[in-house]
Amino acid sequence: MTTAAETITYGAIVSAISFFAVYLLTPVAIKSLVAKGQVVQDYHKPGKPPVPRPAGPVLMAGIAAAELVLYALTMNPAVLTVLASTAIAFAVGYVDDKRVMPGWFKPAALLLAAVPLVALHVQGDHLNLVFGSAFIPLLYIPLVFVIMPIAGNTVNSIDVLNGVASGFVMIAMVPLLAAIAIFGSMDIFLAGLPLLLASAAFYKYHKYPSRIFPGDSGTLLLGTMYGALAVAGRAEIIGVIALLPAVVNSFLFLSSVKRIVEHRQVKARPVTLLDDYRLAASKDAGAPATLVRLIVADGPLSEKEVGHRIFRLAIISALMAFATIAIQYFLR
Amino acid sequence: MAGMWAMVLAVAAFLVMVVGPIDALLGNTSRLAISAVQAVVAIASVVALAFGLGRLKRAYLRSKLH
Repeated sequence: MTTAAETITYGAIVSAISFFAVYLLTPVAIKSLVAKGQVVQDYHKPGKPPVPRPAGPVLMAGIAAAELVLYALTMNPAVLTVLASTAIAFAVGYVDDKRVMPGWFKPAALLLAAVPLVALHVQGDHLNLVFGSAFIPLLYIPLVFVIMPIAGNTVNSIDVLNGVASGFVMIAMVPLLAAIAIFGSMDIFLAGLPLLLASAAFYKYHKYPSRIFPGDSGTLLLGTMYGALAVAGRAEIIGVIALLPAVVNSFLFLSSVKRIVEHRQVKARPVTLLDDYRLAASKDAGAPATLVRLIVADGPLSEKEVGHRIFRLAIISALMAFATIAIQYFLR
Repeated sequence: MAGMWAMVLAVAAFLVMVVGPIDALLGNTSRLAISAVQAVVAIASVVALAFGLGRLKRAYLRSKLH
């Protein structure tokens, strides 16, 4: 149990480590990836410029350094389980970055990320349901195995435009951290700070126009760590509400294509690129429904404008998550 | 988005206020049977939520894209 003074001190330490590690290492990674030729084309820009990828290793390094220091300070094993789940998701994403894997690979492999949480029983026995809690010691175990792949793939699926994945996680983390601080534990709150600060530092390079892409290793790491924190911090429902636009995006895609596939495997594209590089909704009835397709259904928008619309939705979801926190706080 | 939020909260409230105290309705039934009934009802409510969201999606897509 950490005191208020310790919480502030530890919070400042882990925040500084994660932020500055990612902030300072990302330019180094950009140079190194470009030198090695590890670049992909940015199809939404004139001339399709090459952009280095993946930034997952940098995010992992910054978060791991902060979490290991936090563990040394608190000696709370829950911190290590969150880190272990994150590292597993990073490894799964890194394999997908290096080799073209089938659509089932990511959801199936991400089941492994639930193992550290269940093995150390960090989820507890009571599922927090805002209006009360449910005692589900056995049912909670398969639920964690469902939550982790969904969280990872949900953030992965929103990584469609410059800066969206990192900016979205940054916004969603604010209510999640508030919920963990109020209803969960301060050690898990501290373990969540590196995700917020690493995302903030990475956003500087990932925002429009991107200087680096996170890759699957980066997005799966961000999403799975978000899921692990929601489980360990007893804030699953609030975590889902804060992530609603990304959940909607995954839900729309899955219910359109009716199977688990990679976006690259879908023949009909949900949006088309106009000559002026604005995005327009596809007229093809067989094209999958996605959040971006719905956003541009009212009229073509530039990539930057679509990103801003997604952030606006993320802020609305964050406000709804805060309203849910208030409901839970006054009902307890 | 607000509709989805309301649906998520409605399912959470249903689980806590109806499924949770279901043991009072089932009387002297064994603990395992009560848990099984609660699990089935809870899973059915989540499936119903997904179905409701699917309907919401179809209606929204029809108005937006077609």
